[in-house]
Amino acid sequence: MKRLTLLVVAMAGLFMASQASAQQLFSGITGPLQVQPVQKSNTVQVPFITWGGDAATFYANGGLDTKPDSIYGKMGLKFKLTPGDDFVQQVKDYMNGKSPYLRGTFRMLGQASEVIGTDPRTKPVVVLQLSWSAGDHIVARPGFKTLNDLKGKDKKIKIACQQGGPHVGLLFDALAAAQLTNKDVEVVFVDDLTGPNGAAEKFRTDESIDACCVITPDMIGLTGGIDTEGTGAEGTVKGAHVLVSTQNMSRSIADVYAVRKDWYDAHKEEVEKFVAGYLKASAEVRKMRDDFEKTQRMSPQYKQLLTMCQQIFGEEVIPTLEVDAHGLLLDCGFVNLPGQIAFFQQSGNLSGFDAKLTAALDLATNWGYAKTRKGFDPPNFSYRDIAKLSELEYVEPQKIVKGEGITQFPGDDLDSDTIVSFTISFEPNQTDFSVDRYGAEFDRALQSASTFGGAAVVIRGHSDPTKTLVQLIKAGLEKGIIRRTGQQGNYRYFINTQGGTKEMDLSQTKDMVQLIQSGAFEGKADSPLQTMQAALNLSQARAEQVKDAIIKYAEQKGVNVNLSQLQPLGAGISDPVISKPTNMAEAKQNMRVEFRIVKVNPEELSDSDFNF
Amino acid sequence: MNRFGILTCLTFLVLSHYSSANAADDLKIVVILDNSGSMNEYMPGGQTKIVAAKQALLTVLDQVPAGSEVGVLLLNDGPKGPWLIPLGPIDRDSVGPAVNSLSANGGTPLGATMKKAADELLKLRERQRYGTYKLLIVSDGEAGDSYLVDQYLPEIQARGLLIDVIGVAMNKQHSLATRTSTYRTADDPASLEKAISAVVLGESSTDSSDNTGQSDFELLEPFPAELAAASLTALTSPANKPIETGSMPANEDTAHNYPSHSGRQSNQPPANQDNGGGGGWSKMPILLLAFVFIVIRVLVGIAKRK
Repeated sequence: MKRLTLLVVAMAGLFMASQASAQQLFSGITGPLQVQPVQKSNTVQVPFITWGGDAATFYANGGLDTKPDSIYGKMGLKFKLTPGDDFVQQVKDYMNGKSPYLRGTFRMLGQASEVIGTDPRTKPVVVLQLSWSAGDHIVARPGFKTLNDLKGKDKKIKIACQQGGPHVGLLFDALAAAQLTNKDVEVVFVDDLTGPNGAAEKFRTDESIDACCVITPDMIGLTGGIDTEGTGAEGTVKGAHVLVSTQNMSRSIADVYAVRKDWYDAHKEEVEKFVAGYLKASAEVRKMRDDFEKTQRMSPQYKQLLTMCQQIFGEEVIPTLEVDAHGLLLDCGFVNLPGQIAFFQQSGNLSGFDAKLTAALDLATNWGYAKTRKGFDPPNFSYRDIAKLSELEYVEPQKIVKGEGITQFPGDDLDSDTIVSFTISFEPNQTDFSVDRYGAEFDRALQSASTFGGAAVVIRGHSDPTKTLVQLIKAGLEKGIIRRTGQQGNYRYFINTQGGTKEMDLSQTKDMVQLIQSGAFEGKADSPLQTMQAALNLSQARAEQVKDAIIKYAEQKGVNVNLSQLQPLGAGISDPVISKPTNMAEAKQNMRVEFRIVKVNPEELSDSDFNF
Repeated sequence: MNRFGILTCLTFLVLSHYSSANAADDLKIVVILDNSGSMNEYMPGGQTKIVAAKQALLTVLDQVPAGSEVGVLLLNDGPKGPWLIPLGPIDRDSVGPAVNSLSANGGTPLGATMKKAADELLKLRERQRYGTYKLLIVSDGEAGDSYLVDQYLPEIQARGLLIDVIGVAMNKQHSLATRTSTYRTADDPASLEKAISAVVLGESSTDSSDNTGQSDFELLEPFPAELAAASLTALTSPANKPIETGSMPANEDTAHNYPSHSGRQSNQPPANQDNGGGGGWSKMPILLLAFVFIVIRVLVGIAKRK
């Protein structure tokens, strides 16, 4: 729901006058920084930001200062939790030794990577993934159906986005899903995440802005809800709707804690306890949250936690416990112990540490936050030890999650629920979808499945309708429904209605449709319906073959995949690119397999242990 | 034939070749088995038709590929009702006892049975779009309710269900022969088994070769593109609703004005005459009304003169 005030202050100072201007290097924003050793103290300063994932940190700590009977207190840790929404200040404190910890999204760390990663002492070791976000969205005006539409035909599409905040990563991923970059669109940077200087207000007041990156409350303010369109009343914008949401693009925004390398080396046990305590706390917090969601009865412990969040974040940010505080936690996909293993240690995880690091450094260098690529390290934890420390069961994450696909999609919903799509073509009668030829498309499909963990990847086979139409004409001729005059190469057709004197044209559409629906063309060897059904079957078989090829490819590469996300569908001849091909080249355009990333209820996917 | 002609032929061969590897190709079939009294008659080869049918069924059902769904529906109720084998995946353990319990006795209510079979297939297709949906009629005589056959046949075909017919040791062609996808004759037990195999085990029966040497694109060239698009939409949305009873299909006039749907075969396209196609009103009631009106006017005129 809310990353309210996250970076607001920081980025306001950071990126003033940033509207569509050239990107300033992060080092230019912070100014020169001296690396100092971490200050010696009994109490370690740990920053937090306004996010549901941080509620588990408060819970583990018992408040801003460690309570003796809290999870951290019992582990012998002593922390002082400090506000970290001013990310630039966080970086300064980190560099000058005030705090060994950094708290942000993976991509925010990436934007600061050149500053924090140049000196080996401060090179970040990312030690904990708190969560995946499910509360960030791109809202667009009417006419934008899928992410593919962000590639404007005549002009660059204008997208409002807070400079330097979590939405830069969201936008990067959304564009990447459609194989676009920031150069294909016009990013209009705004100072704040929300409020009068946020992207939502910019979208509301400037009609030239086509889309904006927003948090949940602003999304609801613009559209009325995740599945609705704004009406223009009560502050909504007419036709505004969610183009993509992290509810579906569920592995885009990773919230993490990083620790200075020098501190990590000297205090590894303490850092392990910090991580183990957080995981223990988040398991308990998640249970409280889910119980309340299910029963609508708030336990005293949960009420106490939400009240604590309200006091820490402020009542102006969280006015109510049941809606705002609980909503903040609902927008947070807590990452459990298997999720830590999957993120940091599984080489085949396309949304894991290595993949996210590459994407973060790509963003940093391509968008102008850094000149050089300065990466981070993953922790070298034994998660069996972490499991013991946190008193949680040690569970290895699965690489291949078995599961049936989502039940069939009605045609209308498929179109309206498609987030992004791409197509591969094939030859007539082709049944072999070799990796050599389609490896790039398979990679893209697997990457999409990983990034869009809360969506289905519909593999939709299509067939060419030429043969069916030929059967229709032949059956019509055979049964006397259609009359033909002229010679080969110069035929003319007449439908035997209206005396059969009128040459076939558009005005006879109704007659033709009625004749087809009445079965008038059926009952002979040339059966258009039989051919249509055969084409439908073939397209389904082809989609299944592509799915099998992708699974085999994933297994060979050692890539994680959730099979319940992959849904083969046969469209047959129902959706041709060209209804009446006039030559083989046109017919081939119809022979294709389309990949569509489609919104589904994430609960329908078998990802309870996979989405972490 | 040009290269595309060859390609499309190949495509069609691929389309019509049954492959058990692909769930999409799976056959969903209801065999309508005639178990009327006449099936007790002997065939050449010294067996009764019903015994030959039972043996053929046992042999064929044993070979049904995984993924297919088969049902056997009787014209006359057996010990467990009309379904000798309910439509679904084959349960090999129950096939033998069910088929062996079969006996022949009763009439030939083919029309009513076709509707029952079609409705069951349509119910299945509502749940699973893919597959080939067929009725296979195995019969040795004409229907006792031919008016229902005439009523339901176009409706069943309009929903995209295929109908294959096997005429068992008949003196002449079954009247359905010219109105269904395929017609096979079986005059002895071996040919009956072969005919049932051909349909149930999915061998291609469609000759897709084009002897005229013209390409598909030439044939389609005069077909307006918008009309083609509308035709595709109509073709790809066949209804799964049950077969109508009592009333004629919505486009009965249209459908029945073509010879193939009236049970007569015509190889000649009609000349440029008004067929009343396109779902128009039948002229007979209008003529009758006009006649009655004229008679009344004449009678009134006579009465006035008197």
